[in-house]
Amino acid sequence: MRRLFIFAGFLLLNLGVFAESLEYHRVYTPQEGMSAEEIMKIKYHNKYSLYSYDYQQIGEVLYVDPSGFTRKRVWKRQRIVKADQEGISYKDLVVMTYPTQVKGLAVLTWTYQDPEKDQNVWLWIPSLKKVRKISASEDDDAFMGSDFTVEEVSTRRFEDESYKLIGSKNFPGYKFEHTGEVKFKDKPCFVVECTPLKPHWYYSKRIVWIDKDTGGNIFEEYYDKNGKLFKTLFREWVWTDLADKKYPTQISLECKDLRTNHRTVILMKDTEYDQGLSEYDFTIKALMRSRW
Amino acid sequence: MGKVLFLALLFLGGNLWARPVNDNLEYAGYLKTEFWLKNYNDESHLSLSSFKNTFDLEVEYELSENWTFFLHPRYFYDFAYDLRDDYNSYFDKNQFKMGHTQRTEWLRDCYLDFTSDKLDVRIGKQQVVWGQADGLPFLDRVMPFDLTYYWLPDFADIRIPLWMIKVEYSPWLNSTLQFLLIPDFEVSRSAPAYAPFAFKANNDFETWKASQEALGRRVHKDLYRPAKKFKNSRVGLRWRSMFGDIDYTLNWLYGYTNSAYNYSEGTDSSGGVLNYYFSRKNKLSHLIGFSFNKSFINPGLFEGWTLRGEFAYIHNEPTYYGTRGSRKRTERTDKYTYVLGFDRTFFTNWDFSLQFSQFIHDKKTFEGYQVINSYTYGLMEKIENTLTLKIATDFIHERLKPEVLVIYGDDNDGRISFKAKFEVRDNLWFTLGYHHFWGPPRGSNGQFRNNDHLVLETKYTF
Repeated sequence: MRRLFIFAGFLLLNLGVFAESLEYHRVYTPQEGMSAEEIMKIKYHNKYSLYSYDYQQIGEVLYVDPSGFTRKRVWKRQRIVKADQEGISYKDLVVMTYPTQVKGLAVLTWTYQDPEKDQNVWLWIPSLKKVRKISASEDDDAFMGSDFTVEEVSTRRFEDESYKLIGSKNFPGYKFEHTGEVKFKDKPCFVVECTPLKPHWYYSKRIVWIDKDTGGNIFEEYYDKNGKLFKTLFREWVWTDLADKKYPTQISLECKDLRTNHRTVILMKDTEYDQGLSEYDFTIKALMRSRW
Repeated sequence: MGKVLFLALLFLGGNLWARPVNDNLEYAGYLKTEFWLKNYNDESHLSLSSFKNTFDLEVEYELSENWTFFLHPRYFYDFAYDLRDDYNSYFDKNQFKMGHTQRTEWLRDCYLDFTSDKLDVRIGKQQVVWGQADGLPFLDRVMPFDLTYYWLPDFADIRIPLWMIKVEYSPWLNSTLQFLLIPDFEVSRSAPAYAPFAFKANNDFETWKASQEALGRRVHKDLYRPAKKFKNSRVGLRWRSMFGDIDYTLNWLYGYTNSAYNYSEGTDSSGGVLNYYFSRKNKLSHLIGFSFNKSFINPGLFEGWTLRGEFAYIHNEPTYYGTRGSRKRTERTDKYTYVLGFDRTFFTNWDFSLQFSQFIHDKKTFEGYQVINSYTYGLMEKIENTLTLKIATDFIHERLKPEVLVIYGDDNDGRISFKAKFEVRDNLWFTLGYHHFWGPPRGSNGQFRNNDHLVLETKYTF
């Protein structure tokens, strides 16, 4: 009986919050019976790590052209979740560490709770040794020249699309070309069709597979205005065990442009949560400490 | 022998280096070769202006969580002078000043950093940068400049680093008071006469000097630098904070000017020879200014735009007065400068940056003489206007990054600089650039109107 109450309480807690935004610093997972909107809210909550207080990780980006020629970028990212204090959702600091040509380039981003507001972005430019406030990138611009767009990595919000639940399905599996492994075969998923609200956008719809276990969007298919599939995006979500809790974490991504056969792989490592990062590390003064 | 060692480093060095090392020690650097080719020959020099080879190394050692040491040496050698080997030309006479790294400039950074939430202290040789403008040094006057290649290189390479103490104290989040104490002094320098980017005024003076000496007269030029004493230290303060969405700074700098100014000290005819006496001096000056920036992040007409600006009031800075091509007086006057910048991304990944600036002289005339350009001795107006436009984009997954910068001033004086960088692989970059100048002979850019340059660069990083 006690277990039933706990389960019912958990279910109510999960369902009850969806009339409004999800609470910060809490982990949600999708449940049977949820609407497409409720499932997607959880997906965004997880995508931006809003369940945590802070996190840091190393990211390695591989740009692979059809011949196999590969270029690499490495960054260190830190995030502090402000949980709507002063209207700010979270602050990010990304510092490039490889290759030398871009080493030291650092980007400080403040993302606001209000979905209508763009991000505030400051850039440390090593060739000028100077901080510049810059306009937020266009959402459909390539993220660091990759096959991902800016919005696919950092700016897309729940409010940017409308949603239709297609149903529950087992994921057929994805061959992760970087290692050759087949990932997530037969993983139970919710399948959601997302339609952008912006007119004449770079895709007409995308089909998103949401892992029922972690709430992560493990696979996305992008369709153009003629209904032709032109891009796929795979994300590997796992649970990260902490002392008294566990957080869903992305550890690898692969984006394939089916028109050019170019692909981008992002590998995340050394992810650490709730280390007590100081908000002073997300200021312009901190950005100006860059030595490279 | 030195050259041989340098060549060996240049061509073999890349294989000797590896990536770092351990958690505390990190390094990076590059070997760079640049060709500067002048595409319009005149009498002063031939096509190859520079064949410059640079070795650069940056080392960071983390002593503890709060303390870090950073070292950054750089050395260059220009082989153009050896290749030409014509010691009778002005071009090759400049080898002494242009052929290799000057004075202590091989040491770009050498400092100890203390960092904490509230207090950062950086002690040692470093650069400090103020202001919001691109390519216009109105507030960016803490460091002296190396203008041997005009304003064409990256600004981080144009600034001459100085030994100083920089303290940054944050009484609260997003607000910082910066204090600078600069006991070191280096004077801004320009290219020697007849070098590819020598200023018109400098060339004219050397020509006049040669003509006088040909007549048996003597021209004396004495340099008076501020003594390297603690009491001659420059000091600066900057308050940085946010007012809503607007970042702003308030700036104050006091000390000797980075530039040295020419003074006429008279003539005499001792020993039956006519002597001309000139001096170059740095004078005490104040700079007071502010800067701001704001990104329009709310929905509306201006969404996506970033507005930035800076203003500087320069008090008691030496100013030249005279007639076209001739300096008659050097007087200390006030100047006001400001720049407004507008940035926006269009068409997905085309970055546009437009700047408008004005340089205002407090006194247009002095004793009947008009204010003149320090570098060209061309006549200036009370208000000088400049417009700059920079457009940058990228192709092939950011492997190819072209950009173009247009600078346009009064009297149809301007420059257009094109640059395209191509990433061959992670550690190898090619750059192709072209600088085209136009304008009147004594315009800031027009003085180089017969001096268009093609620049080719290879950079190997490690």
